[in-house]
Amino acid sequence: MPKSVKLLDVLAWIVLLVATFAVLFPIWWTVTTSFKNPRDISTWPPPYVPFLNFEPTLDAWKSIFGGPGQLSSGGHAGSMIYRVVTNSLIIAVSSSALAITIGSFAAYSLSRFEFKRWKNNDIAFWILSNRMFPPVAMVIPFFLMFKVLNMLDTLPAVIIAHTAFSLPFVVWMMREFFLELPKEIEESAMIDGCSVFSVLRRIVLPLAAPSLAAVAVFCFIFSWNELLFALFLTYNQAQTLPMLVAGETHTGAPLWWLISAVGTVAIIPPILFAVLVQKYIIRGLTLGAVKG
Amino acid sequence: MLNQRYVKFILLGPCILYLLAIGIFPLIYSLYLSTQWIELTAGPETRFVGLGNFIKLSQDGRFWDTLRNTVVFVLSAVGLEFIIGFGLALILNREMKGQRLFRVLFLMPMMSTPVAVGYMFRMILNSEWGPMNHFLSLVGIPRVDWLGNPAGSLFSIVLIDVWEWTPFMFLSLLAGLQALPVDPYEASIIDGASRWQVFKYVTLPLLSPVIVAASLLRSIDAFKIFDVIYVTTAGGPGTSSETVTMYAQTIGMRYLSLGYASAVAFTLLVAVLLVSMIFINRMRKQQR
Repeated sequence: MPKSVKLLDVLAWIVLLVATFAVLFPIWWTVTTSFKNPRDISTWPPPYVPFLNFEPTLDAWKSIFGGPGQLSSGGHAGSMIYRVVTNSLIIAVSSSALAITIGSFAAYSLSRFEFKRWKNNDIAFWILSNRMFPPVAMVIPFFLMFKVLNMLDTLPAVIIAHTAFSLPFVVWMMREFFLELPKEIEESAMIDGCSVFSVLRRIVLPLAAPSLAAVAVFCFIFSWNELLFALFLTYNQAQTLPMLVAGETHTGAPLWWLISAVGTVAIIPPILFAVLVQKYIIRGLTLGAVKG
Repeated sequence: MLNQRYVKFILLGPCILYLLAIGIFPLIYSLYLSTQWIELTAGPETRFVGLGNFIKLSQDGRFWDTLRNTVVFVLSAVGLEFIIGFGLALILNREMKGQRLFRVLFLMPMMSTPVAVGYMFRMILNSEWGPMNHFLSLVGIPRVDWLGNPAGSLFSIVLIDVWEWTPFMFLSLLAGLQALPVDPYEASIIDGASRWQVFKYVTLPLLSPVIVAASLLRSIDAFKIFDVIYVTTAGGPGTSSETVTMYAQTIGMRYLSLGYASAVAFTLLVAVLLVSMIFINRMRKQQR
């Protein structure tokens, strides 16, 4: 029945095109809005295509990346973006590195050694359950803890908080990976007199590098996008990029061209990274329940 | 050289200690806080009120509204995402050129910074100049005030979540479909089963672990929604789109009533943990 197969193919393509449009349009709209003049924001019908429907300008980009421009009527200096992007980068990189280091050691231990009093599986599932806690239940204790420690509005406070959320994920994903890795090479190296740590460094690390990188990217994206902790734990010096974006919400009429430019800056790194680890995405997002 | 017997504890120790200190301790502390009267606006002193906060909670109409909003949001968002995602996965589960490209494309919504997504949709759903109303006007549907009217604001949040997370359902279910064994299909086709019968008696049962896992995980996450609401409706108009997280954040940060906010957050924790336990138990069974 070649005819009905063809019809299905056509249907599939139509569905794909509609879905593609639905996925891309909001992103397209945001990116193009960042090149609009204030006067082109509220025209009707909405101007969709630069050069055709409106004359693009770099004003918004110039004003967020320096110059005397202001990010909003609230009066953020243009140079804010450098600081928040730097903060976000430091926080995301440090918390991923911390979580990867602590987490993969734990994952290795759980996958290679046998624990007696509590079974390995129980420990692993206990660690995973840490991942499920709603952030809002943790954020108030965090706020008070860091207040006592005088660490509010510092980068380490946010790093510590984000690591707590990445860590269970790292352990869970890396444990699965180590379990799939054959033990024999490590065992023979141990028999030859290598210590556990040199086995880790010389044999396990090179083999695990791609998975470690993928898991690290997940941690990075999570931290980069996170808002609630940053909102509670920082207010000025340690502000992150999502906070700068979100901060535009309550200050008068939104300056859409600027918000779009900052929003574009925010979504570029996670999207690029996601493309890099495309192969692992479903595995990561479903905590290994679906092998993508 | 380190004694091999202790190595496993040295490797695992830091992680366990970290999670106890930064995961479990705050949780217990939060339970303690929920029994306290803490009003930072009134001063630093606190006092023990026992279950007082929870009694106040049970009589707080706004809390029940936010709880209802949250449940309605989770059910409708996850439901729609499942239906659309499954439909797409079934249609596209075939040899096609450029499938890789589309997979990459579908990653974009779920990876985008949620606050940025919130703003995207504040523009798109703008009632005066937003493209959504323009598209609708092309087919003759009059202007809709998406985010600004109490009857539609929660639905608009659902819509945004559907944009963001349908790709998750689609990609998980597609991965699940493509990992299914071929034999049962060949057998049922030889037995003369119709397309619908194959779907109902072969695909659905085989795929059900993936369906359940993806839906549970999505629900757990949906319960925690905050960022998008924070920048789009901020829970409004009134409390029409306020969820539990949003409410706890407002009490905590705007009114600085940390004890009461902890009590609110704790109820969410219980709800989420219940769903999480179902998920974790299923994963445990799978591993055996």
